[in-house]
Amino acid sequence: MTKKIKLKISARLLKKKFRKKSHGQRKRCRFTDNPDMLHDLNYKNTDLLRKFVTERGKILPSRISGNSSSVQRILAKEVKKARIMALLPFCATEY
Amino acid sequence: MFRYEVLYLTVPEITKDESEAIKAHFTKVIRAHKGTMTSFDRWGKYRLAYPVNKNEYGVYFLTRFEVEGDQKEALLAAIKEIFVFKFNTLIPKHIVERLDIEASLEYRRPDSLEDNPQDVDTFLKRNEMEGLIKKGPGRKNYESRDRAQDAGHADLDIDMDGDQAE
Repeated sequence: MTKKIKLKISARLLKKKFRKKSHGQRKRCRFTDNPDMLHDLNYKNTDLLRKFVTERGKILPSRISGNSSSVQRILAKEVKKARIMALLPFCATEY
Repeated sequence: MFRYEVLYLTVPEITKDESEAIKAHFTKVIRAHKGTMTSFDRWGKYRLAYPVNKNEYGVYFLTRFEVEGDQKEALLAAIKEIFVFKFNTLIPKHIVERLDIEASLEYRRPDSLEDNPQDVDTFLKRNEMEGLIKKGPGRKNYESRDRAQDAGHADLDIDMDGDQAE
């Protein structure tokens, strides 16, 4: 007679393991991968800045866009400069 | 040696004489402080992200110049004087930025309304829906029908007039 050995693993731990696996590849900062792009990160280049801004005009968090913290700091400043010059909206719903 | 750039927004009704007057004054101030103007670009007309002084449109200009270190602060104060006091009716907004001397001078700017006008026809062309533009015969038929109706009414009017005259 062979006894079946039952492993005791809680459902919470299983879920945690699944979450870790399902995460996939980590997001990478597109500016640190090719540093030439940092020169284009200007308040004048609004076509690029619009990729890091929501439809409503808010700056996307780096946890979603994947930017490194140093790039995110530069980007936030450039977006604010573009807003002052009326190239980007402060709030998109008003107008 | 320091390199700076100034981007300023003007009212949409700005004339060529006014923009050249601003440029002439600007170069005069820079020369007085022993600097050199390297470029002066007119970006064109833009639709603004929000109305500025009740204007929905505006024209952008970008200028770049170089100065020596000792004249730097005096020149920046003089430039502020130009925009804030002298041409304040024409220029609602401006920004002064310091540039890296070793970096390249190339830059990208958004497309202006003069580069790609936002008409219905250009929108259809860009999205490869040119078939909608070339619906000539259908439109022409309608137009000819309208014309015929108008002509009929005109005839009736004339008849009525004639009746009244009789």
